[in-house]
Amino acid sequence: MFKKVLVMILAGGQGERLYPLTKDRAKPAVPFGGIYRIIDFTLSNCINSGLRKICVLTQYKSYSLDRHLRIGWNIFNNELDEFIENIPPQKRISDMWYQGTADAVYQNIYVLESEHPEKVLILAGDHIYKMDYRELIEFHETNNADLTVPCIEVPIKEASRFGVMSIDNEQQIVEFNEKPASPKPIQSNPEMALVSMGIYLFNTQVLVKRVIEDTKRDTTHDFGKNIIPSMINKDRVFAFIFRDKNNKAVKYWRDIGTIDAYWEANMDLVQVDPIFNLYDIDWPIRTYHEQLSPAKTVFSELFPGGRCGTVLDSLVSNGCIISGARIERSILSSNVRIDNYSEVFDSILMAGVRIGKNVKIRKAILDKSVIVPDGKHIGYNLDADAKQFVISEKGVVVAHKEMPLL
Amino acid sequence: MNTILLVEDDKNQLLLYKQELSLEGYNIITAQDGQEAVKKVKEHTPNLIVMDINMPKINGIEAMGKILSEHRKVPIIINTAYNSYKDNFMSWSADAYIIKSSDLTELKDKIKELLG
Repeated sequence: MFKKVLVMILAGGQGERLYPLTKDRAKPAVPFGGIYRIIDFTLSNCINSGLRKICVLTQYKSYSLDRHLRIGWNIFNNELDEFIENIPPQKRISDMWYQGTADAVYQNIYVLESEHPEKVLILAGDHIYKMDYRELIEFHETNNADLTVPCIEVPIKEASRFGVMSIDNEQQIVEFNEKPASPKPIQSNPEMALVSMGIYLFNTQVLVKRVIEDTKRDTTHDFGKNIIPSMINKDRVFAFIFRDKNNKAVKYWRDIGTIDAYWEANMDLVQVDPIFNLYDIDWPIRTYHEQLSPAKTVFSELFPGGRCGTVLDSLVSNGCIISGARIERSILSSNVRIDNYSEVFDSILMAGVRIGKNVKIRKAILDKSVIVPDGKHIGYNLDADAKQFVISEKGVVVAHKEMPLL
Repeated sequence: MNTILLVEDDKNQLLLYKQELSLEGYNIITAQDGQEAVKKVKEHTPNLIVMDINMPKINGIEAMGKILSEHRKVPIIINTAYNSYKDNFMSWSADAYIIKSSDLTELKDKIKELLG
């Protein structure tokens, strides 16, 4: 049953609101949680759901993503009819970049033509959640649906950012509005709205027909804005209520859209009992991780003024050395070095970051290979920091990849 | 007067179609392969295209994709001797699929309908 499903992961978004983390890379390739990239969560969901025919549609700044997929996800066996294909725009049909999510699929109709899958599962490469797509596929088949849209309840005041739907008793979608100004609440609770997770399971023939129809109209060629509303009351369109495999009371699904959302989602991981569980052996999240030596802390001079390598409430990846410095509530990617008498609080340090002596860092994100000289303070005077760094709405200070600091 | 682009690699058939459709009062331009068709669309912006599929250089289906990427709304009628292209997803981009016949009634009716 699952062999007849082709997965298309849309990984072409520019992720402008995540700038400068997306300065040199597509959003799905942005590092997350120390050793992962954002796309690892969606790909792990596929593997854990037994889906092994995957096309990743890339577009902008795809080098970093291509490389990660090539060295980290080359685990599929062609002899068993499994594959992961990285597909940049082929310009076979059009000379233009993808005009929208539906156009990305239209321009790759020849992929569907050669594979002829029964169903196509369209996923976003920049969401973080755990979902067993087998349950979705079973639901789709039971209902004899043409399209099934997974959905989740969110507070009504946040719903304007999403596609908001109304469903009937059979869970058939009767109304769908993308990013409405005044979202409609669910019947049983006026405080909540039912929103699309931006994931679509289509019967292939219906997908092809609707996408072709859409190319002939003056639309933005977007699934949420154009295709789905056009299918309501015409095709069998169902809502699948998200069943979280995260085994927590709160359902976890994040579109890491902004720097603040990114920082908060990472900070969740260092809680004693995080909402998102990375340690679930029944739903492993895999990635590519370089072979590196274990993380190390040095110096235990417990007398006043002594050097102590101290790490509290943090994730520390391999290859890190914390030498006489103090780290609290932070995430360290691989090969981070931190020198004597420095302090790092509530921060995300990406691979290869070097921090000198007597440095103080608070509520910051330092992208790859940033070198912080001795005595530098970051996050303690936002007015001064603003001259040098990007600062988010909620005051997270961000240094871009390889940013030279003085 | 509506302009129709006829795309057909067989010269005799092309002449026949051209003659018959001219009598219906259309302005007819022609192309003998997919590549020429793409070029002619750019030059003349026809109101409708009648497209053969099996042709040299690029075939009708590929030509259709290229044409639709820039002229999304131009109606296209596939006119082929083969039924088998109906299964090809790309052929679904056409507004009609007609099996070639010496009797052009069906083709003429379809053209009238699409030019409305």
